[in-house]
Amino acid sequence: MSEALELAGRLLRVTEGDGALALVLSERSGLARFARSEVHQPTLIENDVLELQIVRDGRLGVASSNRTDGEGMRALAARAAEAANSAPADPDFPGLAPPADPPEVEGFDEQTAALSADDQARLAAAAIDASELDLYGFFTSGVTELALASTTGVSVSQTMTDASVLALAAVDGASGYAEQTSWRLGGIDPAGASTQAVEKAKHTRGAATLEPGSYPAVLEPAAFAELLAYFAYDAFGALGLLEERSYAHGRLGEKVFDERFSLADDSLDPRGLPKAFDFEGTPKQRAELVENGVFTGVVWDRTTARRAGNGRQSTGHAPPSSLRHWGPLPFGLSVAGGEADSPQELAELIGDGIYITRLHYLSIVDAREGVITGMTRDGTFRVRSGKIAEPLVNLRFTVSVPELLAELPGLTREQVLLNQSAYYDERYPQGMLSPAVATARFDVTGVGSGPGV
Amino acid sequence: MRELCDHAVAAALGAGASYADARVVVRRSQVVGTRNQRVERLDDAETEGIGVRVLVNGAWGFACDRRLTSDGAGAAAGKACAFAKATPSGHARELAPLEPVEGVFRTPVERDPFEVSLADKIELCLRAEAALAHEDVKVTSASVRAQGEHKVFVSSEGAATEHELVECGGGIDALAARDGVAQIRSYPSAHGGSSSQAGWEYVESLGLEREAPRVGEQAAALLQAAPCPSQVTTVVIDAEQTALQVHESVGHPTELDRVYGTEAAYAGTSFLKPEDLGSLPYGSEHMNVTADSTTPGGLGTFGFDDEGVPAGREPIVAEGVLSGFLTSRETAATIGSGSGGSMRADTWSRMPLVRMTNLHLEPGEGSLDELIGGVDSGVFLQTNKSWSIDDKRLNFQFGTQIAWEIEDGRLGRMLRDATYTGQTPVFWGSLDGVAGSEEWVLHGLTNCGKGQPGQHAHVSHGASPARFRDVQVGFKQ
Repeated sequence: MSEALELAGRLLRVTEGDGALALVLSERSGLARFARSEVHQPTLIENDVLELQIVRDGRLGVASSNRTDGEGMRALAARAAEAANSAPADPDFPGLAPPADPPEVEGFDEQTAALSADDQARLAAAAIDASELDLYGFFTSGVTELALASTTGVSVSQTMTDASVLALAAVDGASGYAEQTSWRLGGIDPAGASTQAVEKAKHTRGAATLEPGSYPAVLEPAAFAELLAYFAYDAFGALGLLEERSYAHGRLGEKVFDERFSLADDSLDPRGLPKAFDFEGTPKQRAELVENGVFTGVVWDRTTARRAGNGRQSTGHAPPSSLRHWGPLPFGLSVAGGEADSPQELAELIGDGIYITRLHYLSIVDAREGVITGMTRDGTFRVRSGKIAEPLVNLRFTVSVPELLAELPGLTREQVLLNQSAYYDERYPQGMLSPAVATARFDVTGVGSGPGV
Repeated sequence: MRELCDHAVAAALGAGASYADARVVVRRSQVVGTRNQRVERLDDAETEGIGVRVLVNGAWGFACDRRLTSDGAGAAAGKACAFAKATPSGHARELAPLEPVEGVFRTPVERDPFEVSLADKIELCLRAEAALAHEDVKVTSASVRAQGEHKVFVSSEGAATEHELVECGGGIDALAARDGVAQIRSYPSAHGGSSSQAGWEYVESLGLEREAPRVGEQAAALLQAAPCPSQVTTVVIDAEQTALQVHESVGHPTELDRVYGTEAAYAGTSFLKPEDLGSLPYGSEHMNVTADSTTPGGLGTFGFDDEGVPAGREPIVAEGVLSGFLTSRETAATIGSGSGGSMRADTWSRMPLVRMTNLHLEPGEGSLDELIGGVDSGVFLQTNKSWSIDDKRLNFQFGTQIAWEIEDGRLGRMLRDATYTGQTPVFWGSLDGVAGSEEWVLHGLTNCGKGQPGQHAHVSHGASPARFRDVQVGFKQ
């Protein structure tokens, strides 16, 4: 039995109530953050968070602590019990999850788990040393374990590893970006990411401005994944559907996107950051969300499934308690690849337009219609005659994601794993598999600063 | 806690650090949230640990340990030094001089929020939610929060400070939907309401139940409102949105670590340069922005920052001219001005960063009605809905939940889906009026993100409604 699962079991034993779920999330991580080719914020974290959900007469209370001693556990149980005693009964409470065998998934790598602070510093240095321009970014690796034990018999744990390198090669007037993420150290190449960022940066000098308007565009995987994530957390979750406020309302079963666009949430895929179960202990399932342009589904947890009725079942997408107000979340999105061999081939498909490497500071303008604004950065170019041409300044865009997805001239065959975690709060690896995408419509609504620092 | 910090600092110095500081943090936070008359969140979280920051041969190191024991303190110190040694710096690192001080700061509290029962908090949310009801309102929600934090800081230079901080907050939202249109209204702010460094008396002062009927009715009325037309016009912006405008287009670009590029890979840099200090025209003569970590009730109020620098009040923009940066001891030494005072860490497991404390747009004169009265044709914008700004903090676009036409100095019809956009110095240069102190409101937000690993900061902004000329307004040009 793992240490985290043993902790969860101990917590369960000091708990009184009709039912209880004990959850332990453990993190051992290091992040070597660098700027101007020098590590300036190196952070080592070790923490174990214990969360207890207590059920009393249909009332649910939740409390958490990072004290693992007996006194700390008893105090935690008392606070969770007080919360349960204070809550009114919830007629929609589905009860705690029954025991179920989680699927066998990958996602743990001994070599990655064994990385020390010295190793993390060395891998950051490998990125820095490979750059002929000032380099900004980080190397990080971590081991995360999630364990759940409940009075209904759930007893599951999963240990995950993850490693990421983010490389921004930048000087005054020029910048380029690259990132790599994997659960295996062998899946990433810090020096390679650095070199890729430098090559991109070299082509961004002398950036020109662009008239606002609607342009065909190629979005590299990092740009497309970030845009899609902002849309997906609302549009592909069951809560927004049930509350009739998300893009999904009234559109399930309709062909609303280009037939080249297919989307699933698939935490079982070993190319992503695999997960075996969700935060309720329900086994993860692959959920089909869009099939050949048809909006086919959303992800569910036990609460939303109960509320929907009609025999609806959880798909294994319950979020952590702190995100429960979002409802079930698609943390393992996977966009099906297309037929293009490269983003350059996508540029040939659009002929004339723009090429986007990365986005910045997105915000949802209209959730119901999927309208999102943001900026491009670190590698925005004009596309002319099917070729990536002169660099552009950072562009303000305000796009309807469904309109952007309505006509996709092509997608690359290769799906790239993009890190979806900014490491706020407790570490829990999240990533999206995405190809590069060509769209017929990308609405530029303004211009901002130029590339570079 | 003091002994653990002393132990960690001594251990770090023994392991080769030329400078070390240690912070012990014990925090409890409670969130009660209801949605459509169901309890959605009932969380009571505690976290504790020690974070140790060191300088070894000019390189920073940081490590933390959740164990509040001498073993935990020693382990954090040792790992911080080891990480610093593994990432050698090619140069010396200077910190602005600081006279070491010892001191204690406690939030003045009338009513301890943790003495208020969870049942009472739930009841307040449910009552406020019920008052939001309207036939077109599909989702009602209410939330209240409370946080208590005990923090002890010790540095190798002799600083020793202690804080006992209390925060409270709350907010309500009504989401109306019909015929494919969805609109939201919030009070007192969007995105979780507003918070203050105060006791439960702050939540009581918000009057969530009292304001709810208006919020619900406005959400429903927005379904019938016309979309805000695209135009270049005069805008009057309410205090809440003005506060966010200050946050994004003044607060972040004046963080000196961004100016020096250390946030480039994530949050971005700044259009400002160090040499702009004292000369750059940031806005019109009506623009006076102050950083004040002494503001009563501010979420960025403290006795000392997380480097032990005493709280203070400094001009950032004076009569439209850039007059100060938000600094750490290191960035202050680099620029040769200031002494730090803006270093804050999210919690024990994060390294302090240059953060806003409380950043205020100083009040001008007159009332909101007088600001509106001075507009022949324009738009009044209220309550943030969306926000985005580029990596150098120049091009921004904000959306608000609600707007009204202004015609001949009076409010006209209601508008929905309003956005406005601009370039930071041009926009602030068009500021031609700020309402007076009677309209000045302190807003506290808890979701300011920065750093890798990410850190949330809790900051406050005081602002009055403000008027700007020749602004691009419109939705999705």
